[in-house]
Amino acid sequence: MEMYSQAAWLIPLFPLAAFLVLTALGRSFRRAGVFIGSIGSLAAFALSLLIVIDRLGANAVDYNYAFDWIRIGDYTLRIGFEVTNLTAMMLVVVTLVSFLVNVYSAGYMKNDERITVFYGYVALFTFSMLGLVLSDNLLSLYIFWELVGVCSFLLVGFWYSKPKARAAAKKAFIVTRIGDAGLLIGILLLFWYMPNHALDFTTIQSVFDGQTGAITTGITTLIALLIFLGAVGKSGQFPLHVWLPDAMEGPTPISALIHAATMVAAGVFLIARTYDIFQDSAAAMETVAYVGGFTAIFAATVALAQNDIKRILAYSTVSQLGYMMMALGLHSLTGGIFHLFTHAFFKALLFLGAGSIIHAVHTQNINEMGGLGSKMRVTAWTFAIGALALSGIPPFSGFWSKDMILTAALETNPLLFVVGLAGAFCTALYMSRLFFLVFMGKPKSAAAGAHESPATMTFPLIVLAVLAIIAGFVETPWNGWFGSWLSGEPEDAHGSGVVIIASIAVGLLGIYLGWLVYGKGSVSRTVIAERLPWLVKLLERSYYVDELYAAVIVKPLKAIGAALSVFDEYVVGGVVRVAGAATSSVGRLSARLQNGQVQTYSLAAVIGFVIIVVAIVGRRFLP
Amino acid sequence: MFNIEFSGEFAAFFVFSAIMISGAVLMISLDKVVHMVVSMAAAFLGLAGMFVLLEAEFVAFVQVLIYAGAVSILMIFGIMMTKHQQGEREPVKPLHETLAAVGTLCLFGLLFYAIRSTAFPEPQPFQAAEDNTMAIGQLLYTGYVIPFELLSVLLTVAFIGAIVLAKKEAD
Amino acid sequence: MLPSYLTMAAILFCIGLYGALVKRNAVVVLLSVELMLNAVNLNLVAFSKYGVVPSLTGQIFSLFTITVAAAEAAIGVAILIALFRLRGTVNVDEFDKMRR
Repeated sequence: MEMYSQAAWLIPLFPLAAFLVLTALGRSFRRAGVFIGSIGSLAAFALSLLIVIDRLGANAVDYNYAFDWIRIGDYTLRIGFEVTNLTAMMLVVVTLVSFLVNVYSAGYMKNDERITVFYGYVALFTFSMLGLVLSDNLLSLYIFWELVGVCSFLLVGFWYSKPKARAAAKKAFIVTRIGDAGLLIGILLLFWYMPNHALDFTTIQSVFDGQTGAITTGITTLIALLIFLGAVGKSGQFPLHVWLPDAMEGPTPISALIHAATMVAAGVFLIARTYDIFQDSAAAMETVAYVGGFTAIFAATVALAQNDIKRILAYSTVSQLGYMMMALGLHSLTGGIFHLFTHAFFKALLFLGAGSIIHAVHTQNINEMGGLGSKMRVTAWTFAIGALALSGIPPFSGFWSKDMILTAALETNPLLFVVGLAGAFCTALYMSRLFFLVFMGKPKSAAAGAHESPATMTFPLIVLAVLAIIAGFVETPWNGWFGSWLSGEPEDAHGSGVVIIASIAVGLLGIYLGWLVYGKGSVSRTVIAERLPWLVKLLERSYYVDELYAAVIVKPLKAIGAALSVFDEYVVGGVVRVAGAATSSVGRLSARLQNGQVQTYSLAAVIGFVIIVVAIVGRRFLP
Repeated sequence: MFNIEFSGEFAAFFVFSAIMISGAVLMISLDKVVHMVVSMAAAFLGLAGMFVLLEAEFVAFVQVLIYAGAVSILMIFGIMMTKHQQGEREPVKPLHETLAAVGTLCLFGLLFYAIRSTAFPEPQPFQAAEDNTMAIGQLLYTGYVIPFELLSVLLTVAFIGAIVLAKKEAD
Repeated sequence: MLPSYLTMAAILFCIGLYGALVKRNAVVVLLSVELMLNAVNLNLVAFSKYGVVPSLTGQIFSLFTITVAAAEAAIGVAILIALFRLRGTVNVDEFDKMRR
């Protein structure tokens, strides 16, 4: 019955094997790289799909296998893997997107001379992400968590000859590190306070779910907030979101895979996995909800004023991740995960579409594009589907998940409901701006020679477009299947006419406004820029968060570093130099003594002898 | 401290030491190498006289024979076989010479201090043998026969070594 | 009398030492070394008469020393001659091969 779940440990091994083979092959086997990478992820996808089909039945039992890893005294650390419905769903999402990105990269990265290395990194990332998903305890999850961070670093900095890519890779690594440190401290605290120091999710669930009182509320809140800090770093939540837009310096398929669909969702996944801890602490839940809500509206407004197609999508990702966090904070685990599920497909679709566009026009500035709709029909249509799904227009998948989040918000926290609606409006507006500027209107300079991308790139687009349409139907206001499958409890239908109507209304309003301004042109695009230039500037620079960090954190740190380096240069280095100079001058002096003449040597011997004798005899005269 | 009664031995000692010191100092201060060797021979002879004062007749004899005779001749041969620019006054090394003078003076001061501050016990009366040479010969062939034989080996080795070293390469 | 002999030996030794340290001519250096050896001989013989236990051993030892000194002088002169052939000088200053 659960044959496939028992074999789940095999899933990460396919990409790992692909990574090892690719690393061993080196750069010469260009075609082989594509095939090995794709086959590795395809095999992983096939097995994941089998597991999910296996578990579709109403009451599939979680499968957990663990073995003793470390024994210290009477403490035993066990690691293993666990297959629940949540992890099974994540497995499918990760492997599917990974496979599609592998296929897509065959076209996109075709002329890159390090394509084999690229495929190796992607395979390593897929392995790490799958390991993260399958981990049955927080410690191994943390190991894979760091591993995906490393892969992200490697892939963002893949074109390391570009200074901006190097800087972005460093930034991504350092900023997420702040969150990782929080997560690590959280895990250590948990290890300290848990009965028997258990770190596996099953025990965590039973300890916190059963309200055994083993851990006080204050500590629970602290642990939850620290874990949330890790999620904030990884999932690009405010205030640690700054790395994600910069990470767009990496290859576009990577942006789709890592920075839209999988790794950034790991934060959401982490909270979902440790949800019992959060549910024990109302303060932590509220923090999650407010941080998520703020990030959602904050990033959405920033996305309105960006001109780089990938940065728009990056801020959109930040915003959508904010929605997921908000849902989790509002006690709607299903809403958060559901949005993660749909978002993975349509955001990967949008990124891959953007990659297709960039591949065709060789620019990322949307003001230099235009009129691409007739030249790139497949890209345009699939992109439109993705944009509609993101904007929350029925029947596309994004509508259903966002609707569920908004419903949860309306039930518990009207303020966040309003924030969510405003965010949805902004989302619809920036997506329509993007779409109309890129695909409609007259072709601009860069769009002149554009043509449709090869089949390896359009095929993933079509697959993802289909998924972006249908993925939402697993959970509709009338059909709570996904929620009950995920949580194991029957969930009632939660339809709310108000939410549906409001959600559709703001979505359509946003699109209409976007069409007026950027499509039809009946409203001047510069009207806001003329009236409120500071506002546009503020949004363009994303509220000057980067500049603020530079002024508040980076500059003082650099000043301390400079002071320390001056100290090092003149004090430490000075001492070293003086010591060196003293030694070498003593050496020079004694080298002059070594003039090769025996008489000098014997003279030195005589003087030394006299000094020794005087010293010995002289002691007699000392008191 | 210096209250030494003017015995015959002391007078002889004074004469011999005057010869030796003047010989040694002349050896240091003369310009010509041959003169140095000659003054050195005078010092050796003075020492031989001092050995006689110490009732070591055989040693005095050997001293005259080997030092004043053989070694001096050897040195003169050495001088003759090598070239010596007469009167060359070497580029002086004042620091080196001053240091050497100071060092040796200090050393002498130390030795003198040691000699003066040591209380030598009154020796037992020295029973000089009837025949000093015979007594030494007996000792050499009984108690010190092994060092004696070793010395003869050493002399042989030195003899052969000297020939080998001084031989012309071309031969 | 012993201190007088010892002082005499010390004077001889120091003069020899000074000569060995300062003189540039290798033959004179050899002579100075002989002088130092002689000073030692004087000590030995003086102790042989005025030592705590007077005996002939001191004289025997001075004989040995004289023998070794003779061997040393022979070898020294031989080395000097070889060196002179090689370098054309007996100036101690110019024998500075040890520097390299």
